[in-house]
Amino acid sequence: MGSRVYLLLTLLFYTGGAVHVLLHAATRRKLLSLTTTTAMLLGFATHTAALALRWNEAGRFPAVGLRDISSFLAWTLVLVFLVMWMRSREDVLGLAVHPTAFLLLVVANLSRPEDKADPYLQSLFLPVHATLAFLGYSALFVAFAMGVLYLIQERELRSRSPHTFYYLIPSLEGCDRTGGRAAAVGFPLLTLAIVTGMFWSAAARGHYWTGDAKEWTAVVAWLIYLAMLVARHRSGWGGRRGAWLGIAGFAAVALTFLWVTVLASPVGAAAAR
Amino acid sequence: MIVVVGVSHRTSTLALREALAFPRETLPQALARVREEAGAEEAMILSTCNRVEVYAGGLADPAPIAAFLAAHHGRAPGELEPHAYRLAGEDAVRHAFRVAASLDSMVVGEAQILGQVKEAYELAESAGTLGSALATLRHRTFAAAKRARSETGIGRNAVSVSSVAVELALKIFRDLEGRAVLLVGAGKMSALAARQLVAAGATATVLGGRTFEKAEQLARALGGRAAPFEHLRDELSRADIVISGTGAPGTVISRADVAVARQARGGRPLFLVDIAVPRDVDADVREVPGVFLYDLDDIKAVSEANLRERRKEAVQAEQVVEHEVREYLDWLRSREVAPLLAELRRRGEEIRRGEIEKARRRLGTLTAEQEQALEAATAAIVNKLLHTPTVQLKEAARDGRGDVMSLIRRMLGL
Repeated sequence: MGSRVYLLLTLLFYTGGAVHVLLHAATRRKLLSLTTTTAMLLGFATHTAALALRWNEAGRFPAVGLRDISSFLAWTLVLVFLVMWMRSREDVLGLAVHPTAFLLLVVANLSRPEDKADPYLQSLFLPVHATLAFLGYSALFVAFAMGVLYLIQERELRSRSPHTFYYLIPSLEGCDRTGGRAAAVGFPLLTLAIVTGMFWSAAARGHYWTGDAKEWTAVVAWLIYLAMLVARHRSGWGGRRGAWLGIAGFAAVALTFLWVTVLASPVGAAAAR
Repeated sequence: MIVVVGVSHRTSTLALREALAFPRETLPQALARVREEAGAEEAMILSTCNRVEVYAGGLADPAPIAAFLAAHHGRAPGELEPHAYRLAGEDAVRHAFRVAASLDSMVVGEAQILGQVKEAYELAESAGTLGSALATLRHRTFAAAKRARSETGIGRNAVSVSSVAVELALKIFRDLEGRAVLLVGAGKMSALAARQLVAAGATATVLGGRTFEKAEQLARALGGRAAPFEHLRDELSRADIVISGTGAPGTVISRADVAVARQARGGRPLFLVDIAVPRDVDADVREVPGVFLYDLDDIKAVSEANLRERRKEAVQAEQVVEHEVREYLDWLRSREVAPLLAELRRRGEEIRRGEIEKARRRLGTLTAEQEQALEAATAAIVNKLLHTPTVQLKEAARDGRGDVMSLIRRMLGL
């Protein structure tokens, strides 16, 4: 019962953070106030406790089943936010992350825990692969969100009659740089997640590559991010193209994720069941 | 009581405001006349291009000030009637606060007005027409204006051409530190915008044509360098921000110029502000990816949107001002009633002392015990009698019931 209470507490804190950041956005005040940051930090602490307790309760790494998956994903997302925000102080990160973390926590709190035993899930590959993949997804989500904000802000600037977003979103360069950094963090994590996934597959079923859809989408995502980072490295500015690549890459990542969690796939399906 | 009579951009034509304006050098004299002719104890005059206002202390009615304002400028009293506002007491205080908070300004939230109000008070102070009422109003006015400005966003978004250009630059670039600004033409408006950009850390290059000397002068003033106009394409490829404001009749920066520069820029965005009429920059430049071009119309559109944002914030600022008005009035009233209460007490004590003396004469020597009883009994009578009027006076003062206060005053013969 322990993890349940902590997960509910976390939801409360994240709700506070999300409501606060959205309110501040609506009233055009500085996006992240002390209240928001405190709520998110407290939430992160109770969240960590919830995950630890859940790990203990389930007897395996808590990244299986909708409840655990959304909870763990929210946790990595907030972790990525905290690390990136400490470095860049780009408040708009909170606008993308806090409401998303809140939604994931709603899903987590509403779904039932999955407690079926499965030999696959006792593998050491589960914590390693899942942690790498989820941290990667989170960083790439940030790159995606920054890409979207970049395109919106560019549109606002081109329309020459600014609306709400003009005032909310920071500079194009800020979005571009933060998105680029997030992709630069997410890409190696994604690479490692793919590699450990292959090893896990080999250990479990004797094949590194089964050729199913989720493997292909992962490779497509990997190639898109590679192209994005190479282009950025060469010009020092991602721009519109960089923003679109960040969005496309994340679409591929999201597909991979859905395949793993929802649709059939030997190792992933075991995780989903 | 504080009164104010004035005309502003809301109530009058520019011509009338010009006619009623007080040139700076005539102000000490005019302030003295407000006291002599209108019978005010204190006076302050705020004269800017958007308003002419005379504040006075120690008057119950603004009429003498209105008469002074007309007479001073050789106008018939009736002439100002439809344009001038005459406010007294609470309304005058509210008006003073709103003006200083820039809520009554043509451009809501503009920052100059506070400085102008400050100066007007300083002039009144040195002319010796500032007494305790206006001095307190001054103090409260600045407090209210500063709160309105810092707690709401009325002054937040840029509205002037040069500051909109800076704001836009900051929507494209994260900061301006080390950005290269290219000025095409050394006009006044370009210089103004460039100065703000340089102050934020940008470096300036001025392109000069026939009047190269002028470009060199401006470059020196901006701590940058000048270059001949022939180097346009080179300089474009280096620049992050271009401000073009030449008097040339035709296109100065063509799409080809920008496209070539873009090749050399490796994707970094280029921000162009064209403040020339007729325009310097080919409108097709907009279509080059990564290039943001704003002409005067575009700047105006952003400025208008920003002004709309400020007006939204003004609703909150009005609340801040209203709160400050309440606080000030409460304070004023509590001060008004204090001397009255003291007088009431003094009168009670005086009567009591008198009656004790009379009693003593009649009764002869009293024992200490009897003396004490007499003191206690008379004190109790006075206290009990004065208790209700005291409470009522305090309440009347708090609620601003001048009528109740004067009634109590009359009943007590104060």
